[in-house]
Order: sequence, then C-alpha cells, then structure tokens
Amino acid sequence: MMASGYSAKEEDGHLPGASGAAGSGVAKSKKPDNTAFKQQRLPAWQPILTAGTVLPAFFVIGLIFIPIGIGLYVTSNNIKEFEIDYTGADMSSPCFNCSQSSSWNSTWPCRCSIAFTLDQPFESNVFMYYGLSNFYQNHRRYVKSRDDSQLNGDKSSLKNPSKECEPYRTSDNKPIAPCGAIANSLFNDTLELFYIDPNGTRTQIPLMKKGIAWWTDKHVKFRNPGGTNLNLSTVFQGTAKPVNWHKSVYELDADLENNGFINEDFIVWMRTAALPTFRKLYRIIQKKSNMTPTLPRGNYTLDITYNYPVLSFEGRKRMILSTISWMGGKNPFLGLAYITVGSVCFFLGVVLLIIHHKYGNRNNSADIPN
Amino acid sequence: DNVIRSYKYSALTFLPLSLFEQFQRIANIYFLCIVVLQFQSIPAISTLPWYTTMIPLLTVLSVRGFKDLADDLARRHSDSQINRQPCDLLTNESFTSVQWKDVCVGDVLRLHKDQTADLLLLTTTEPHSLCYIETSDIDETNLKIRQALAVTHQELSSDPIEPSLLAFDCEEPNSHLHSFKGVLEWRDMRHLLDTGHILLRGTVLRNTRVAYGLTIYTLDSKILQNCGQTAVKTTQVERTLNKVVVGIVLLVLLFALLLAVGAGIFEARVAPGIEALAELGGRYTPVYKVFLTFWGYIILLSPSMPMSLYIRFELVHVIHSLFIGWDLDLYDGGVDVPAHARSTTLNEELGQVRYLLSDKTGTLTENRLIFRQCCVAGVLYPLDLSWNPFSCGGLQFSDKRLVDTLRKPGSPDVREFFKALALCHTVMAEWKDQAASPDEETLVGAARELGWVFLSRTRDSMTLSELGHRRQYQLLALLDFTSQRRRMSVLRDPEGELKLYCKGADIVILERLRKDSTYCESTEKALEQVFSQGCLRTLCVAVRSVQEGLWEEWSRALELAAMTTGASDDLYDNMERELTLLGVTAIEDQLQVGVPETIATLRQAGIKVWVLTGDKKTAVNVGFACRLLDPGTRLLQGEELVEFEEQPELGKRFIALSRQCQAVLCCRTTPSQKAGVVQLIRKYTSSITMAIGDGANDVNMIKAHIGVGLNGLEGGQAVQNADFSLAKFHFLRKLLLVHGRWSYRRISVFLRYFLYKTSSFAFVHVWFAFCNGFSGQPMYETWFITLYTVLYTSFPVQCLAVFEQQDVSAEGSLRWPSLYQLGVGRQLFNPRLLAGTFLYSIYTSLVLFFLPLSVFCFSAIDFQTFSITVATASVFTSTTETGYWTMFNVAAIVFSMSMYFLATLILHSPLLHTIAPADFYFLAFQNAFASPLVWLTVLLTTCTAVLPSLAARALLLVLNPPDT
Repeated sequence: MMASGYSAKEEDGHLPGASGAAGSGVAKSKKPDNTAFKQQRLPAWQPILTAGTVLPAFFVIGLIFIPIGIGLYVTSNNIKEFEIDYTGADMSSPCFNCSQSSSWNSTWPCRCSIAFTLDQPFESNVFMYYGLSNFYQNHRRYVKSRDDSQLNGDKSSLKNPSKECEPYRTSDNKPIAPCGAIANSLFNDTLELFYIDPNGTRTQIPLMKKGIAWWTDKHVKFRNPGGTNLNLSTVFQGTAKPVNWHKSVYELDADLENNGFINEDFIVWMRTAALPTFRKLYRIIQKKSNMTPTLPRGNYTLDITYNYPVLSFEGRKRMILSTISWMGGKNPFLGLAYITVGSVCFFLGVVLLIIHHKYGNRNNSADIPN
Repeated sequence: DNVIRSYKYSALTFLPLSLFEQFQRIANIYFLCIVVLQFQSIPAISTLPWYTTMIPLLTVLSVRGFKDLADDLARRHSDSQINRQPCDLLTNESFTSVQWKDVCVGDVLRLHKDQTADLLLLTTTEPHSLCYIETSDIDETNLKIRQALAVTHQELSSDPIEPSLLAFDCEEPNSHLHSFKGVLEWRDMRHLLDTGHILLRGTVLRNTRVAYGLTIYTLDSKILQNCGQTAVKTTQVERTLNKVVVGIVLLVLLFALLLAVGAGIFEARVAPGIEALAELGGRYTPVYKVFLTFWGYIILLSPSMPMSLYIRFELVHVIHSLFIGWDLDLYDGGVDVPAHARSTTLNEELGQVRYLLSDKTGTLTENRLIFRQCCVAGVLYPLDLSWNPFSCGGLQFSDKRLVDTLRKPGSPDVREFFKALALCHTVMAEWKDQAASPDEETLVGAARELGWVFLSRTRDSMTLSELGHRRQYQLLALLDFTSQRRRMSVLRDPEGELKLYCKGADIVILERLRKDSTYCESTEKALEQVFSQGCLRTLCVAVRSVQEGLWEEWSRALELAAMTTGASDDLYDNMERELTLLGVTAIEDQLQVGVPETIATLRQAGIKVWVLTGDKKTAVNVGFACRLLDPGTRLLQGEELVEFEEQPELGKRFIALSRQCQAVLCCRTTPSQKAGVVQLIRKYTSSITMAIGDGANDVNMIKAHIGVGLNGLEGGQAVQNADFSLAKFHFLRKLLLVHGRWSYRRISVFLRYFLYKTSSFAFVHVWFAFCNGFSGQPMYETWFITLYTVLYTSFPVQCLAVFEQQDVSAEGSLRWPSLYQLGVGRQLFNPRLLAGTFLYSIYTSLVLFFLPLSVFCFSAIDFQTFSITVATASVFTSTTETGYWTMFNVAAIVFSMSMYFLATLILHSPLLHTIAPADFYFLAFQNAFASPLVWLTVLLTTCTAVLPSLAARALLLVLNPPDT
C-alpha cells in the first residue's frame, strides 16, 4: 500500500523519465468528463414511482391474477378425472390375494379385476396413468443408479456398465442391460380396460402404448445399441436381464420401434419422478369419432396382471383416467393459488391506499426539514 | 546494490504465493475443503459433482490472481523506472553514469536533482558547501538547508574528485526521518554527523548546481523504511459481513446435522421396506449413512456461502471510488485537482461518519495569509485598506502613522520590530515562492514593503537593506521552528552587538518576558480584544541583548550537548528568557469558501464536528465564524488532553460528555495529541471517525481512521497519507452526504441482496430433503448450481450496487442532511436487518419449493421438469429484485435471463448428451418450456416470492414519498 503510494508519488513528477514524458505534451486538464454515467445522472424510472403509480400496480396484479386463477379453476373443473386404488391392501378388495402373494421372484402372474363405474362420459382423448405412492423414486441413491451411456446405446457401456449401477451391475458375471436400480424396479403390472355394455358384453378398450414418452427421450436419450435395424436379441447377447425382470429387455414388445431401450413404458419409468408419490403416463385412449365419447358413461372393469409388490413399504397403486386440457391434467390447486395471490395483492393495494391517505400526506410535510 | 524490489512475485513464485495469499480467506478455504470432499471417492458424500464448486472457485481465484498480477506488473514497471534512472558515480577519478540500482554503500555520487539513497553531503558547488533541498515529500516545510562538514568542504572543494581515505560510522538504519547520528573519521579526526549533513532519499536538490555525496544507506534509506507500515483498514460493514459468513457456516452445519438426523430416521424406518433402496445402501451401517449424509448436505448447502461476494465487494468499492474521482462537483478548476479516493476500501464508511475531526489552518481557512495589523510598542496600527501605494499586492496592511513613525528617526522600537521580522526566519531570498512557512513569507514580505528588505543569506551571515542602508549581520545560531517551539535567531550586528531575536505564539513569548517589560499590558489588551475578534493569527516578536560571555558559555554547552546527547531543549530555554517585547503581528487567514455552510449542513446531518488546532484565541473566533460554536461551547486545551491520556477513566467520561456536545474545539494541541483525540474517540465509542487536514502535522490524525487530505499549500504530506483527497473543505459536504450515503446504501443493499440470493437458492435443498428421504438429492441440475452465482444472477446485483439511488437524488441528499442519519445509525446493515434478510430468504426458499410441489403433485410431471421450474423461478426472483431501473439494470436483467435460457438450451442439447450422457443428463428444456403449466407455476412462484419485498417497498414509498 505504502510502497505503491511511494512509487506513484515518484511518478508524479520527480522522475526524469516520467516528468519528461508529461512535460512534452500539452498539459491535460484533470477535469472529469461530464457524462451522465460518470456524474451518476443516468435516466432512471424509479424516481417517478410514487404512491400514485405503485399502488395501482398491486391492483393490476390482482386484477390479472384473479381472472387467470378463475380460468384455471374452471378449466380444471371441466377436466374429468377418475382414480381407483387397486393395491388390494383391504380384505374386501379383489386384489387382496394378489397383493399378499406378489413378490419380485414370484413366477406365476397373479390376475385380478376391479369393477368401476364412470358417472360421466369422458370426451376427447383420455390419458391413463398408474400411480405409486411412498415409492422414493427421487432418493439420491436410487436416482444415481443408472448408466446413461448404456441407455444411449454405447456398446462399451453395454458390456461394462458404470459402477453407479452397483449392486445391479452384473448378474452371473454377465453385465446387466439395462443396469441399475431404476431399471431393475421397472413397474411391471399390466392394466387392461373393459367396457361392460348395459347388455353385459365386455368390450376391450384399445390402449395406445406409443406416444407416451417424450420425443427427445425416445430419439435422443434412449437408443438401442447398434442402431434400430439389427436384431435386438443378438445385440443384447452376452448381457443379463435385470434380476427382477421376468423377460429380457429385447422382449418387452414385439414392435421393433418400441422394444429394447426405446420401449416407451421403460422410458417413462426411467424418467424419475419428483416426489415420493407420483403418477406416470401408462396408456392413451384415443377418441374414435366425434359421435361417441371416448369413454361413455357406464360400467367398466380393470384387469390387472399383478406383479409389482408395494406392501413392503406401505405403498399404494392407483389407476387414473383423465381427460386433458391445454394446462394438462386436473389441477385445482393452481387456480386457487392464483386467486389467493391475486386477492392478497388486491388486499395489499387497499391497505396501502388507506395508509397513503391516512399517513402519507402528513409524513410528507413532517419528515422533511426545510 | 540499490535495486528496489517492491514487486512480490516472480514467474515461478506467482502461482504458489498468490494461492497462499488467497487461501488466507476463510471462504476460499471453506470451498477448497468442499472441493476436496467432492473429490472423495465415497459417492455418498459428493452430492454435487466436483465442478459445481470448482468452477466458481477457479473463477474467483483467477480473477483475484489476475488483479494481483496486474498490480504487481505495475509495481515492476515503476520499480524498473526508478532503478534505471541515471546517476553519476565516482569511479577511477572520473564520474561515469550508472543506473540507480548499481549504487552501493560507500559510493561517491555527483548529484544534480534527485537522491537515490541516503547520502552524506561532502561538498557542493555553492559557497560554504551549502545546499538547499526540497523535502515536501517527507515533511511539512518545503525548503531546507543542508551543509557539508567544514572539513570536507575545505578539503574537497578545491578538487572534488580526488578520492580520499574516508571512514564513517553511523547508526543502524532506521525510519526516523529527523534524526541521524554518525561519526566521520578523516585523518585521525572524528567529526560528528547529524541530520543537517544528510541528504535523504526522496528529497530534491534545489538552488544548488552540483552536490557531492557519500552513500550511507541504500535500500535501508529512511524513506523506504517508512513505507509499508500502514495497516490495512477494514470497514465496519466488512467486519459485520465476516461475522455473517461465519454465521452462514454455522447455519449450514446445523441444517446438515438436522438433515442427517432425518436421514437416520429414514434409513431406519422407511428405506428397508423399499427393496431398491435397501439393496443400494446395504453395504453401510445406518450410523455411517448418517455420517455420509451429513457431509453430503454440507456440500449441497455450500452454495449458500457467497463465495464470489468478496471479490465483487472489492469491485463495487473500486467503482464507487471512481465515481468520486469523476464527480465534477468535487473538481476544483482553480488548481485543476479532482477528488481522489486513494484507498478503495472505505467508501461505505463515508456514509457513516459520526465524528469529523478537522484541522483549522489550511483546512477551514485558505492558508493564504495577509498581514493585517501590528501592535508595536503598545501602539496598535489598525487595518486601513483605503491607502495602498505598494503594488506588490501582498500587503493589504498600511497605516500612515506607521509609515510616519518608521521614517522619523528615533523610534527604535518600531525599527527593531521590523528588523526582527526581516532577520528572524528561514526564508531564502532567492526563493520567494518557496518559503519554509507561509507565515514567515508574509512577515518578511511585510518588512520588505516597509523598508526592511531581506537581501541574501549565506551560511553564517544575512544581508539587509534597512531603509536603503545595506547592512550585514553575522548569524551565530538559528533554531528551527517546530510545533512545540518558537523560532530563535542569534545575531551579531555590524556594530558587534549580540542580539537574540525570537518570535512565537503569544503564550510562549509572554511568559519569557523580562519582569519590567514595557507595553506588556497594552499588547495583551490588543491581543485579547482586537486581534482575536478579527480571527487574526498572531505572533509575538521579542528581542534580547546577549552578553558576550553568556554567549560563549552557552555555545560551548550547546556543542557539548550535540556531541553527547542531542537533547538541547533545556539549553534553548536558558537562552530564551529575559526577552523584551517588540510587538505583535497579526495575520489574517481567511475562511475557505463555503466553510460555514458546510459545517452547518454537516451538523444538521448529525455529524459532530471537532476542530483540533494549535492555537487558542483565533480558533475560538474561527469557530464562531464558521458556525461551529454557539455561545457556551466547551473548550479543551492541550494540557487537559495530556491528563486524558494519563487517566483512562477521565477519557471515558470526557467522551461520554462529548456525546452530548454538538461541537468540540480542542485548542493548543500538538500533532500527537490530535491523533490521541482520534484514538480516544475510537476507544470509547464504536462510531466512525473521520479526520481532515492539510499539513504534515495532521498526518498522525489522518492515519488514525478515515483520513481526508486537502491539496493545500503545506505540501503533499497529508494527501499522501489520506484515504481520500479533496481540493476544498466544502467538497466534504457532497463527499459525505451524497457519495458516502449512496455508497453505504448501495453496499448495504448489495450485500443483503447477495446473501438473500445465495441463501434462498440453497435453502431449497433443505425442504426438498423432506421429500426425498434426506438422501442429499440436489434440487437443481448441477450445471445450474455451478452457473447460478457466476453467470445467471451476478450482473443485476452488480448493477444494483453501482447505480442504486432509489430513495433520494443527489440534490435531495444535500437538501435534507438529516437523511445522512441512515448510515450513522447503521440502519441498513445491522443484525436485525440481516436476520430479516435471512427470514425473507427462508420464506423465498419455502415458496420456491412448496408452490411448485403443490402444483405438480397433481400431475405426472417428472423430477427434471420440476427442477427446471424451481430453477427458473429462482433466477427470476433473484434478478428482478431491483428498485432502481436504469438502462444498465434493464440490460443486466435481460442479459442474465438470456444467459440462463441460452445456457440451459445448450446444456440440455441432444448433442452434449450424446457426447457425455453422464454429465449432461438433463434433457428437459424443450418439454419443460413447452408446457404452459410450467410457465404458470414460474409466474405464480416468482410473484409470491417477491410480493413481501414489493409490499415493503411500496409501504416505504407510501410513508416517505421521494421528493425530486
């Protein structure tokens, strides 16, 4: 500090070199520039903000948020949603037996069916979800237990999966494909939906299993090793199936476009949920014609191939049917939240207005000494 | 060897040294530990990959490193400029030009202007080997006389380049600029050396063609020994900030501990039921898992530590300092000097000053002296401006009676008075503009105008023209003026009579007068009533006839004292007694422009103004003149100050008393007492003190706390030691009320906001822990955490710190000085407000997490989309919190947001994912931002998060409307 001060002082004039250089030119005035930036007079909008302009802002926010909230709320209310718990934890449930017997290594699939009634017809496309609760898909150990390179079609990762996959990395000295805990715990219940005519005939409702994954996931993030044209069974030769799976990854679907790592059920499962209780898209029921609703009013049965054990962690399994709107599925909270925040803004505006009228003017004159 | 090396680094040492210095900061150490933890092979600990901490840390380290490097290169450049200057060195009977760096101790140099080292003056080309040096870089007086020893002068002046056998012995190198002891051995004779024979480095030869000197100290020279002693000043805000940082570390530890406990419960109760989790964690015991979770959360919460805060803090300080230098209102066109912030670390304290300690002469006054009146032989010759035949302009004083008295023969008192003025001084006849003291210059000038013209001086004689008659006086002794002493000259006049002339402050002279001194009463009356009323500066002039015997005895004693101890004050006292009063001079020192108004404004602002000055009567009158004093103000004298230093409890009581006082005037203080007063205030109050002065006698005071130096007439010494330099006292008003207030406000807002932004963003992890089994899962993508502080949110907060002037404009700040109380009362950066900031950041983090949670629990949205939603809301919340919207703020916000979207787009690109799927595993940009639900949630979350601050701001606006 002092040392630099000393040398700076030396440069000020006493050094022959420095003074010579300064003396040669015309002595430049040290007067600062008169610019808005340097004089700190940049144009700004804040000073014109007074109580008269700030208070309306609160009303404006309120007046924008409340209609948005009402709109969202109405939209949400128009969305039809049906939810049924098929865990079978209850003695009375048709799936009670299945739930008690199911475990990861049970070989015989257990089947059960649950009847339900839709009171209102579901127009337009209907999304079918499965829901799990208490399943910590966002637990850090779980989230990390995957190999994105392997899933991306990297051949060396296929044979030699990442250490992150431990202890689901190898099985019988063969690399597991797909490795890791997430893949291993793939949701493997099969859900089928039947419409019961008033005359008693069961009609299976066609469920679309493609189009449920994100485009980027299906085409970028997940790729089968060796491209799409090869025979998947040869590609995956020398790998083991995840220990909990009943079939290999290349046997997930007959459709080559939906098999292996790019099986959409698999992709959806691999996109981990944010919260311990979550739902995932399972199937899409497409609208057939304009005349009939996608799911008419009436009785239905849900046929379940019950494989997935949840009772060990007190989990619940649900099937959800929902129509969708521009804002997605049914979401009563968002609309209410908008209405609440909008009302709070409005209320604050009123309070501030009262304060302004009661105290503002008085302080205006008292606070500033002349 | 005389190579100056003020630079610190070489190519090899730069990296290790710079890193060593930087890791002295606790924050950097903390982050280094985090990085080390992250590099640990235990995957359970490194909740975030290494680059999340490494990249910001490297950024901070490299910015800092480059700054240090640039400073060091500048030092190197200046060093080499100094080192490469030429000088003439005696080698083999002739002088050759060498560079400064090659000079060694014992070398004989030929000097023209600058001194490269501390030198022993051997001889000069001037008569009697006199030489004159300008010492304005070292102390107060400008020109000083140095003289070679008679013996070297005589031996060497005939043939200056003859090398001789010289031996000298001197004291160890030290930093005392005004003392030197040494012995020169020359042909078996010992000659004592003192400071009068020494040319110090940093002084400049004047009025002397060539001087020859022997090098005594090179790198040990006294001025270099004086360098590098200033302690680095830190501000109160910075000290509070350091405490806050420690507080954050503790808070992070606490959170990590609680979350680790939660993890223990989860691992014991829930995890065993979930097959995958049970299998994954099977290797570890629950206690070990808890331990790992603790460290995992330490890492995860580490972004709440504002790593880059210190470096940004510095940057903001530098910009604020530049603003001070750029201010046209602080620029003095007369002397072409803008204000200058020499220290760039103290800006916000300018807005918190409670005590202003000011010097009087040259600070409150112009220090342009005008001889107004005199009182000779009890007769007062008052001011009369109507008649002025002298064209010089320096003398505005004139009185017909006085001129008449002077011309009339037989008025010895008056003549003696002016003779004394013409003789008792150290002014150089040839250097009218460079007198040692402005007072003396004025007095000699006055004597000249009235007929006593000082013509020339040699080493031992002075020549006057007395009303046209040329007379030469033999100079026997000349005692320099110091702040504690007076000036004395002993002369032998042409008739052979010995006389002692003495001049000094009234109190000093009056107590040394002969008992039967005449005119004493009338002079004192003049002093009391007339001079002090007019704010005039007075000096008493006295004479004593000295007996030949007394002189011989005294001069021998003086010589003896100089040989042995050097302490000769008692001897001086012995000589300076039995004086006869000749008269009193009165010099007017006008108040600077705007001083009363400035002091009045500062007092309205709640600043307690203390004036510390060397004299008394004048000080009081100046105090009244500049509206410092009201009737009934307390006066404090130097003698009383000594007591405070001796008795600590008295000092405490004094400060307690002075808190009740609006203004304090300390009279008759010495420079060290001035510093003592500053120390006293700092010791017993926690208030910010500012000292302002212009001369070398104020340096101690200025060094004590925030120092302001005025570019005055008394040399650059005060400015060299000050933190801020101004051209005029009244600039202080804008410096404090506008720049200081703004700096304090901006820095407080900036720091609080910075803490808010980092902690609100990091605390989200705490709430998320409750939903993910306390597993240490990060809420955000790791790249987002890495770039959040560095890229996404840094520019708006930086702009806030530079442009914020939300509440009152510059004019408003000056019009309502009471607004300054904001900083004095620490109303913007105190524990209470910081606690509020933390509560608000916790509120924000709650909103940032739980609002999206509540929205998304009804939908099939995945973790990555959820994460992007929270991250976007977090960026929006952090960037829009600006109250003062200049175009730079808007640009910064637009830039930050575009950077966020651009960077996210790139980091989520399919290409990067294909290259390194493990590092770029987020691939959610397209889907997330295509969803209206995400946007609606971001809008709702952002609005809810900023609503309290918006409402608080509106409330303030409603209660205190800004007036433009």
